[in-house]
Amino acid sequence: MALLEVRGLTKRFLGITAVDAVDVSIEAGELVSLIGPNGSGKTTLFNCVTGYMAPDTGRVLFHGRDVTGVAAHRIARLGVGRTFQLVSVFPRLSALENLLTFLQQHQEESVLARLVRAPRVRRYEAAAVERARMLLDSVGLGARADAPAGSLSYGQRKLLAFAAALMPDPGLVLLDEPAAAVNPTMINQMKEQILGLHGQGKTVLLVEHNMDVVMDISERVIVLDHGQKIAEGSPEAVRRDPKVIEAYFGR
Amino acid sequence: MMRALRFTIATAFLIAVPWIVAATVPGQQRYVLHVLIFTALYGALALSYDLVVGHVGSLSLAHPAFFGIGAYTAALLATEARWPFAAALPAGIAMAGLVALAVGVPMFRLTEHSFAMGTLGFALVAQIVATNWVDFTRGPLCVTGIPKPQLGSLRIATLPGFYWTGLAAVGLVGLLYHGLTTFRLGRAFHAVRDNETLASAASIDPLKYRMLAFVIGGAVAGGVGTLYVSYVGVLCPGELAVSLSVNLLVMLFLGGVGSLRGVLVGSVAFTALPEILRMAPTWRMVIYGLLLLIIVIRAPDGLEGVIRRRSRA
Repeated sequence: MALLEVRGLTKRFLGITAVDAVDVSIEAGELVSLIGPNGSGKTTLFNCVTGYMAPDTGRVLFHGRDVTGVAAHRIARLGVGRTFQLVSVFPRLSALENLLTFLQQHQEESVLARLVRAPRVRRYEAAAVERARMLLDSVGLGARADAPAGSLSYGQRKLLAFAAALMPDPGLVLLDEPAAAVNPTMINQMKEQILGLHGQGKTVLLVEHNMDVVMDISERVIVLDHGQKIAEGSPEAVRRDPKVIEAYFGR
Repeated sequence: MMRALRFTIATAFLIAVPWIVAATVPGQQRYVLHVLIFTALYGALALSYDLVVGHVGSLSLAHPAFFGIGAYTAALLATEARWPFAAALPAGIAMAGLVALAVGVPMFRLTEHSFAMGTLGFALVAQIVATNWVDFTRGPLCVTGIPKPQLGSLRIATLPGFYWTGLAAVGLVGLLYHGLTTFRLGRAFHAVRDNETLASAASIDPLKYRMLAFVIGGAVAGGVGTLYVSYVGVLCPGELAVSLSVNLLVMLFLGGVGSLRGVLVGSVAFTALPEILRMAPTWRMVIYGLLLLIIVIRAPDGLEGVIRRRSRA
């Protein structure tokens, strides 16, 4: 059984079909990239999978369970982590607190226990702080733990958002353009991070425009154009596919 | 250690205020205590309002309605049904909280300006009902003869008694406010306020936390309304006026929105200040307006921002 299965997913906006009957199947432990020209429906597909949009038709199954149209916070709770194209961190919280925010709902959610700071909640918090420091160190932000996230550089914020998505140890990680608008050194760092994630056996779905990154690290590439899946296969096969070349460069 | 010592001294001072006032301004002590009671009640109300405005970032204008619902519930139960204070107070809190629960669900389908307009509409309807449902609320004739609180053998009837009650109320609300706005709950509130999309990605249900702040804020406002009517003894529909929201917003934004100390400083400054300015009756509103302007221009983050910068320098 595939970890994530998308069946015949269609999403229209006022008559424009952004995603058109797309099927995607991802096995546990895979590292798959989703590519395509601007406006080909990659982010819309991401949003439908993670509950930010309800598809018009089609199904999304996670661990074989139908999660179509389920609210975003519930899908996240099931163990689907994601990052956003435009860096998304909580700017007024510290780097450490950003990470803690992403784990706490997975540990306990009792309002009363939190209000009175029950011993159990304190233990969870201590464990969360330890994990957050470990993750911050792993992305090289250990020294900035207490800095407000808004004071970090663009690339650092991307790394922070990446680390935050990993806090609850999600089964599936969706990364929306992690290497966009980031300097070359940072791109290499991001690449290593993603490969490291894959090395730990995590399942990763990546949307990325940077072809060096995509071709270097992906096991499998899915190509969208005008909302339709036009190709799928190994990076080499996709690179030579005439339909893909046409979609990117025209006829 | 230093903090605990300072806290103890400040608390002792606040408790001793009635005697200090009696010794320093013997002729004026009733008036001064009256202003201080209002300051304490305003402080508790402003804190409850800041839970919604400052911590989940929803500009609700419904707060006067919750204050009024608590006040009317307690006033009518005490006068018509002869309920003791110990029962009327929780009833006022519960009623305001329940109405906030019922109103919040549809209201939070609206966002930003529409939410402000929707809650404003609710506040206006609440005041119109209080004015026109004469059989029930006595409308403009007001609910009168609301008894002073009686807790067992303890009767709160004197000005110092009400002062200590108000002080206890603002202390309790402050504790609740601190508990809600720090640690894990505070983080969840602030995540929803700063970026709802990202909060969802962090498994936080934005509606749940907005509702939590809205309902607790409404319930506390109802409790303050209960204390207010038992102090004043009269309740008229004018107490639910929308202008109460404006006063509270001034306290929040000029004191320091989202900060316990800022909101309290704001409530002290903007309850006491209009009173102090009574000494210059002709220029009172002009000076008040000018001070507000200066603060908005020179300290856009409120008095709390000024305090922070001073303590850092």
